[in-house]
Amino acid sequence: MSLKHGAVHGTWSGLEWRRWRELGFSLGLVALLAWLLNGMGFFEAERWMRGGVNLVRFAQEMFPPDVRVLPTIAGALLETLQMAFAGTLLGFLLSFPLGVLGSRTLFPAGVVAVVRLVVAALRTVPSLLWAVLMVILVGLGPLAGTLALAFYTVGYLAKLYAELFEAIDPEILEAMRGVGAKRRHLIRFVLWPESANAILSQLLFMLEYNVRASTLLGLVGAGGIGFYMQAYLGTMAYARLTTVLLAVLLLVIGMDALSAWIRRRYLLRP
Amino acid sequence: MENRNEGTPMTQAVPSLRRAVRLAREEIAVAVEDLWFAYREGKWILQGVHLQVPAGGFWTIMGPSGAGKTTLMRIMAGLLPFPKGRVFLLGHPLQGELEPALRRLIGYIPQQLGLVRGLTALENVLLGSLARHPGWRTALGFFPRAEIERAMALLEMLDLADKAEEKVFRLSGGERQRVAIARALMQDPQLILADEFVSDLDLPRAAQVLAFVHRLARERGLTVILNLHEIQLVQEFADHVVILKEGQVVFESPALDLSWGLFREIMEGKE
Repeated sequence: MSLKHGAVHGTWSGLEWRRWRELGFSLGLVALLAWLLNGMGFFEAERWMRGGVNLVRFAQEMFPPDVRVLPTIAGALLETLQMAFAGTLLGFLLSFPLGVLGSRTLFPAGVVAVVRLVVAALRTVPSLLWAVLMVILVGLGPLAGTLALAFYTVGYLAKLYAELFEAIDPEILEAMRGVGAKRRHLIRFVLWPESANAILSQLLFMLEYNVRASTLLGLVGAGGIGFYMQAYLGTMAYARLTTVLLAVLLLVIGMDALSAWIRRRYLLRP
Repeated sequence: MENRNEGTPMTQAVPSLRRAVRLAREEIAVAVEDLWFAYREGKWILQGVHLQVPAGGFWTIMGPSGAGKTTLMRIMAGLLPFPKGRVFLLGHPLQGELEPALRRLIGYIPQQLGLVRGLTALENVLLGSLARHPGWRTALGFFPRAEIERAMALLEMLDLADKAEEKVFRLSGGERQRVAIARALMQDPQLILADEFVSDLDLPRAAQVLAFVHRLARERGLTVILNLHEIQLVQEFADHVVILKEGQVVFESPALDLSWGLFREIMEGKE
């Protein structure tokens, strides 16, 4: 009996020790955050006061929005949307085969390692830097933006797809090998249909991301609405900038709604 | 660990072929001789298994979990290379990858059926014809019209014609079993290997499925080897039973000779 009691007591003190350790860890994290913020001047009241006044002045200049620029920016907005769609689809077309090659399900470790390294390298470069590189490669304009988004998309989707394919039930693959399926059949009849829902879901996520990202690519001359953002910001035409921001907001909300509709239509209802 | 599957020396291959010819003459569909297998070195899952299944036989393999039944089934299906022993399938020595001509003759149904859930019942059945049509046309999803008609005829025979266009994940457990059987039959096999494929069904349904497979096997002269758990099903349908324990055959007899009491004794280790 005493042994049992001792065992329970041991468990209890072990539990209590774990709770204290978790609490200590959480407090430590908060302290670290406070220290970092303090180093940046987060706790300086005077800075906040001064900034607040500037912000109010800035906001006053932003409103009311100057809607006369709408016809001018409409074309750029459409171009942004085109870049996002074309970049995402092009990226998807490259990501799928790279995802297959990067999955240990079908290919030997050597091939997988090389592909994963390439994909990781693509992922390391941010979309804005891709835009700069593509502007150098193909010149100013939406083609540069589209290619930049495509490369950025490949970096993410190829990795996600490779992981998806590796999670496929090995019994299905074995059963398919049992009926004499070649690698090409496994891609067409197992990898694709078994992952279709997740592939579509991630593709939509990437499209939403790329719509947001494509609004910035114009900053480096890669086409789209970003060009006007930079121009209005540079000339302190804040009322016009507000119109651009509101238009982008509408575009993003519209894309989110479209994406939600596609998810409901194709993912939730099997 | 030596792997006989990868590059069998000629000196071993010739006796294997002679043995295969003799087995074929004696109408032995599957012969397993001194088969050893380990997933990790030194930890043997199969330890010197011997089996001789005559053509047209309806055999069952029983045994506790971890006895090596699934491993044996995967080896017999040509899906798992083995380090030691000999396996002959339909008169062919098993060495490395199965040739498409032989692959076509062996229908394998894994425990969870191995169906592609995102494809329709018809598409899943059509996959059984891939060994006959391994080219790019089928990889793009274009199957010959004759194969589509054959797949539809099989679904009709299995009372699934109205479900042909349904995705597999929408089908009931019993319907999925039948799709898996149809896919195996689509191969036009001489040997069917099924690994506890009715274990998810209740007893009456499992009996229904097995009755169907049994009738089909008799009509077409197929050899069938099943892994089964339920002794009632074994007694009702099998010709012969083999009990595997810790990777060894500990019992082998006509199925009718295996009583409940004897089965329990063997499983509890009193044999």
